[in-house]
Amino acid sequence: MEGNKMLLFLAFWPMIGAFIGYLIGKKNKNYRDYFGIAVCAIELLAVLSLFKLVSNSNPITFNWEGFSGFRIYFVLDGFRFIYAIITAFMWLCTTMLSHEYFAHYKNRNRYYFFTIMTLGATMAVFLSGDLMTTFLFFEVMSFTSYVQVIHEETPAAKRAAGGYMAVAVIGGLVMLMGIFMLYTQIGTTDMAAFATAGAALNDKSKLFIAALLILLGFGSKAGMFPLHFWLPQAHPVAPAPASALLSGVLTKTGIFGILLVGSNLFLHNAQMGLVILCLGVITMFLGALLALFSIDLKRTLACSSVSQIGFIVVGIGMQGILGSHNAIAVQGTLLHMINHSMFKLLLFMSAGVIYMNLHKLDLNEIRGFGRKKPVLMICFFLGLCGLIGLPGFSGYISKTLLHESIVEQIWLFPTYSSASTFYQVVEGIFTLSGGLTTAYMVKLFVAIFIEKNNTNQEKMDSYNKKYMKPLSMIALVASAVLIPVFGLFPQQTFMKIAAFGKYFMQGHDIAHAVEFFAWANLKGAVASLAIGAILYVLVVRICLMSKDENGNTVYVNRWPSIFDIEKNLYRPVLAFVATFGYYMCTVFDILVNIPWAIITHGVTHAINLYPKWHHHKSTAKRIEHYLDDHYNKIIASSLTYGLLATSVGLAILLIVMLFF
Amino acid sequence: MNNYFLILPILFPMITGALLALFKLKGRKLDYTVLGITIITFGLTLAAVLNGGTGLQLLNITPLLSIKFKVDDLARMFSLLSAFMWILAIAFSFEYMEHEGNQTRFYSFMLLCLGVCIGLPMAGNIFTLYMLYEMLTILSLPLVIHSFSKDAMKAGKKYLMYSFFGASLVLIGFLFLNYFGTTLDFTIGGVLDMVKVSTNPTLVLCLFVGMFIGFSVKAGAFPLHAWLPAAHPIAPAPASALLSGVITKAGVVAIIRVTFYLFGVEFIGGTWAQTFLLILTIVSIFLGSMLAFKENHFKRRLAYSSVSQLSYILFGIIILSSTGLTGALMHVVAHSAIKVTLFFVAGVIIFKAHIHNVDEIKGLGKSMPITMWCYSLVSLGLVGIPPTTGYVSKWFLAQGSLGLANQVIGYAGAITLLVSALLTAGYLIPIITESFFPGKDFDYSSVKKLEPGWTTLVPMIILTVITVVIGMFPGPVLQFISNITKVLF
Repeated sequence: MEGNKMLLFLAFWPMIGAFIGYLIGKKNKNYRDYFGIAVCAIELLAVLSLFKLVSNSNPITFNWEGFSGFRIYFVLDGFRFIYAIITAFMWLCTTMLSHEYFAHYKNRNRYYFFTIMTLGATMAVFLSGDLMTTFLFFEVMSFTSYVQVIHEETPAAKRAAGGYMAVAVIGGLVMLMGIFMLYTQIGTTDMAAFATAGAALNDKSKLFIAALLILLGFGSKAGMFPLHFWLPQAHPVAPAPASALLSGVLTKTGIFGILLVGSNLFLHNAQMGLVILCLGVITMFLGALLALFSIDLKRTLACSSVSQIGFIVVGIGMQGILGSHNAIAVQGTLLHMINHSMFKLLLFMSAGVIYMNLHKLDLNEIRGFGRKKPVLMICFFLGLCGLIGLPGFSGYISKTLLHESIVEQIWLFPTYSSASTFYQVVEGIFTLSGGLTTAYMVKLFVAIFIEKNNTNQEKMDSYNKKYMKPLSMIALVASAVLIPVFGLFPQQTFMKIAAFGKYFMQGHDIAHAVEFFAWANLKGAVASLAIGAILYVLVVRICLMSKDENGNTVYVNRWPSIFDIEKNLYRPVLAFVATFGYYMCTVFDILVNIPWAIITHGVTHAINLYPKWHHHKSTAKRIEHYLDDHYNKIIASSLTYGLLATSVGLAILLIVMLFF
Repeated sequence: MNNYFLILPILFPMITGALLALFKLKGRKLDYTVLGITIITFGLTLAAVLNGGTGLQLLNITPLLSIKFKVDDLARMFSLLSAFMWILAIAFSFEYMEHEGNQTRFYSFMLLCLGVCIGLPMAGNIFTLYMLYEMLTILSLPLVIHSFSKDAMKAGKKYLMYSFFGASLVLIGFLFLNYFGTTLDFTIGGVLDMVKVSTNPTLVLCLFVGMFIGFSVKAGAFPLHAWLPAAHPIAPAPASALLSGVITKAGVVAIIRVTFYLFGVEFIGGTWAQTFLLILTIVSIFLGSMLAFKENHFKRRLAYSSVSQLSYILFGIIILSSTGLTGALMHVVAHSAIKVTLFFVAGVIIFKAHIHNVDEIKGLGKSMPITMWCYSLVSLGLVGIPPTTGYVSKWFLAQGSLGLANQVIGYAGAITLLVSALLTAGYLIPIITESFFPGKDFDYSSVKKLEPGWTTLVPMIILTVITVVIGMFPGPVLQFISNITKVLF
């Protein structure tokens, strides 16, 4: 155990805190809640106290050799430091909201215990400097966060949690297989050695497979296509504070792993970059499309998470494709990760505020809730502006950088070559996805904060001024303030953070500062917003709304159920494979059983049954009768057989000894 | 040379076990007497095996047929494992056996088996091993047929038939080895006389396969596994736990002796026999997990799981590499601790909640939280979730598998290990979720406190803690295992 023990404290303090909190919770629920907040606050302070020690060239480390057969190895470089802060901060905000949100829940002690455990595990994943350490805490995190997903125990929650567990276990095992192969190929799991070890290997085909398996394992947690389907189910059913954590932080642990593959193991590798890019593009578009069709507040936000993860993955893909010119892609990826964490924290907590009052999430039922609730409205609006990338808000900065990285690639090719066309299509989908983002966010905002409820607007207004307590409000506002600050002063704040964290992705310095508020860059955002406006008017208002029997317009879910790949593809295929395997095994089982059945019956028959032959008619009847009546004799006979076999054996032995 | 102290831990429980039937002890007096005997036995075993590198020649009928004991690290590991597990099983039996009855008979045979289980790993030659192996079969039969029900009798019969068939395969090998080998004492690197073997190596390989399969009957490996899912679940829970968790390991230790101490790695490595047995164990791993996955009866599910998990161990052995054997021995520790706990939990569920089937388990985590917490943690261990013992052993097994010269089988092995881990998750984890997350409409007022007494809980808790702690800090165990493997390779 050597190195800076503070890093160990960061990982294990919440785990210890969880136990203490549990014991406190047995006595007093309020103290338990405050203790939970204190645990997160101490965690945040502990991270901040390390600020002076963070360094990219010579990071502080902690090494515990021999743990679980390998080691626990933590590193604190710029990127990890940023994510450690975000993790601790988000836990602090959500725990503050939890106090009010869970006021009338059952099994709260369980929730707090596992949530704070998850903080420790997540922190450890982000700090890990060795893939085995990552895997260890990644699995712990998967299982502790499972409890958050299933917490409500409704049928929907149980189903979604089942999917979550299945994906977590399968993803974990696929990843483990990848790690096995990786270890046999390069002989190390130290992340710092990945870039050089990966480049040094001549035959990369097996390493490529290993990397794909690891990618799939981490991608399943991030919600990357094709293992994204669990996310829009699991995130909404969890209690809102947990959804914020799942969407905001836990998906980033998946991204962390994708970065390991894309930006370290296969550094500057265009092939791997292209694979990641394609997955990213599909995820980005599909998520946005799903979000547009959804009429459930939290489900929309969860689908939006899938889409935003897609944006981030596109950035990682571009890093590989751009090779050593990856500076813009690296910073775009990092900033979009940070942005998405902030936005989803804010938006899910806003959704939580709505849910804890109404206990409903259907857009038609919560319609009009936000009217005349300025704090909630402004917070939600900030989240919206950030997410759609409105200039002046932080989302704009990261999206512009990601967009720039694609444009940079297009410039590398002569116009109208096929490769150039491909990247132009990517750029088109990127802009279109941005438009979809605008459309679904406007849809949410209009429904909740502008339109009146069809049936009972008085009830909605009756919550005014008492819909949340000060503690919850602090949490909400705290998570919102940074969005415009980062957006308005990017060079002084946001880009500094990006420069601080880029070393983890082996990023270079940007050659010249990006002019965020120049027309060339604003163009992309304007295009996205314009597409969004058109989509909102044409698709949402016309296609996705209809009149009900009372003549009121309502939101309807028009997503064709045939596209549910979980229900229509994964579950049937898995069920088929399991059944097929089972029948195969049963056949084997029976086949090897037959000779022994014959032998057993035959021997008992020969020893005991022979004299009684005349009593019974058919052989089958005889055996049946025999089995019914003479159980003790069966044992006796088998003992006889045993002794017989033994004596025959001994006789043979004697003969052998005498004659050889 | 002769250290007569070695015989003590073997004979002491056997003699006291036999005497137990004469004295009419009842109730707690009986319980504590037996517990005392097992603890003394553990102490004796500890003293005997730590008395470094000793041997004992007891009876010398002919140079071939002599009863010989020899203590090496392998014997230390397995003997101590048995002696330790027995203490816990006896403590667990206190409460459990009250509803089964006939404690005296049960305890007698438990103690008899204990003596054999301690002696078997110390056997110094194949004759002693064979003799103790047969004794174990016969002495553990009364544990299987304890209830004397129709099913129990049937299962007992099956158990005997399979075991004797396996033993006869071993006997054949034994006889031929007398011709092909230089000695029948276990010798590192094998005893084969290569001049004689070169006349007919195929026959010798066949003998090896025969002996391997013969001994694998006790370990319940495919193709002679069918008795295990019949016999293990039918026994009383503490006996099932020992049968699955410890007595099966007698087969494992016998196979290690045959593979590394009779035939030798050099002779078997790279031959068709190795490939054949690798395939057989891979099939067995998958088959056991798959059948367990679809099984609804709780204890039978655990028994099928044993088929699969013991094949992990056999697979690790037949990889014939240091890494593979390390994985196998690590899994011996992991599987013992985990499977014993799982059967204990199954026992508690049977005698407290009267539930036999998996689909009735809903909400049990509310009425017996400590028991189900133990279950949850060891289940994750069996799946191989870090940081538990199962994870460490799986890593070594998979690395061993990927290190095989035959890459196709190597990858097939590693993938099967992971598929089986997935199926293991599939048959163990739903029980956790159903018991702890019964659903929103679950009637909490109907929850009764069903937690068993402390004599039942303590063994489970000890084993759960062992599973997690060894998983976190496997260093000392791996160090001990490396002592075993380094002399073999």
